[in-house]
Amino acid sequence: MKQQNWFREHGVILLTGVIVGIAAIVLTACGNPKNMGFCIACFERDIAGALGLHSADKVQYVRPEIIGIVLGALIAAAAAKEFRAKAGSSPACRFVLGLFVMIGALVFLGCPLRMVIRLGGGDLTAVAGLAGFIAGILVGVFFLRRGFSLGRAYPVRQGEGMILPGVMVVLLVLLVAVPGVLRFSEAGPGSMRAFWVISLAAGLVVGVLAQRSRLCMAGGIRDAVMLQDFKLLSGFLAIWITITIGNLIIGNYNLSAVSQPIAHSQHLWSFLGMALAGWGSILLGGCPLRQLILAGEGNGDSAVTVFGMIVGAAVAHNFGLAGAADSVAENGTYVVGGIGKAGMAAVVLGFVVLLVITLTHLPRKEQA
Amino acid sequence: MAVRKKQLRLVVTFHTTAGAMAAEQLCRKLGLEGRLISVPRSVTSDCGIAWSAPPDLRSTLEARFQEAGIDTAGCYELFL
Repeated sequence: MKQQNWFREHGVILLTGVIVGIAAIVLTACGNPKNMGFCIACFERDIAGALGLHSADKVQYVRPEIIGIVLGALIAAAAAKEFRAKAGSSPACRFVLGLFVMIGALVFLGCPLRMVIRLGGGDLTAVAGLAGFIAGILVGVFFLRRGFSLGRAYPVRQGEGMILPGVMVVLLVLLVAVPGVLRFSEAGPGSMRAFWVISLAAGLVVGVLAQRSRLCMAGGIRDAVMLQDFKLLSGFLAIWITITIGNLIIGNYNLSAVSQPIAHSQHLWSFLGMALAGWGSILLGGCPLRQLILAGEGNGDSAVTVFGMIVGAAVAHNFGLAGAADSVAENGTYVVGGIGKAGMAAVVLGFVVLLVITLTHLPRKEQA
Repeated sequence: MAVRKKQLRLVVTFHTTAGAMAAEQLCRKLGLEGRLISVPRSVTSDCGIAWSAPPDLRSTLEARFQEAGIDTAGCYELFL
């Protein structure tokens, strides 16, 4: 009986985790890069490239998965009468936090969702990212307990809440009707893509389910640590298990720390990159996936965060901050990728910026 | 295996996580029963933190939170 109650309470989040896992496997089978069925950071980076915000020609494509996630969340929220246009919670800080969350994720080479997808493919280099993500979340929780707050959001006009869904509709129209105005990668990860209808459908399904379940990679660990509530974390684990099983079935599981798809072996910087992403996600109140869902529900602050992440992706590629994947040279030598000095400096700067934002948003002594 | 019976609880929600933290601190200081929980999905699609307490503390909590300047978003009585 206790087990039945557990499954009743966790049903939606577990179902969401399983469907997200299946969708990621299907998208990879249909053409998306390996271990990248979904990646919010990478796909927003591709969108930034498609719009010409950066000129890394291997990562340019308007990813319909992102469009689908936002519109799926909008549809689910509207159907459940949960669409609430609100904004005003430190938008400028959120923009900057989004920017550094993206830089941290691109140093690691993936958002928290892709981190789980990489783990599900047997990629042991992602373990350092997971450890860093948890460490970053613990730092964020430490400051949440001390009263950190970006302030409350207030109800605003409906149009404010429709900004990101509106932008997504425009991107979809451009992709389908006037693709000539966009940039498309002809090689590299950006050129590897499922047929857009499949990508859009997968995004819509994930958007609907994530809105209903509140799936959040950072929130799952935060709730487990702060509240001993493991509901959201069970969704995180369901994705990991589903992808592991799926990869084992189709023969894509490769348990190794070398030669993993679009991954590098600079473990320290994978750890630090995801620590930056984890800390930033806690300050923002959700991981990059959750920001898309909240923006679809009408949250203008999350829309600003998403714009910050897209700009962060452009900055990461224009200034050579993003990680480079490990590769094998023509002579057969294994070349360890990772980040250069500029990327390392950006991560350190990111920690400084997060610390300043954190300390300036703690209650003053007379308020505490 | 024992079945955990759902109990009627007062759920107080806040506009910010900091509000929930302040509520916890105040209730601990005053010795008022309760604990932090994830906001129930039936209340909102937001993923915030709420204060769960026995329903008979409703008027006490509302008064204490107001005195302390803790801004609440809503009070709900739910079976949890």
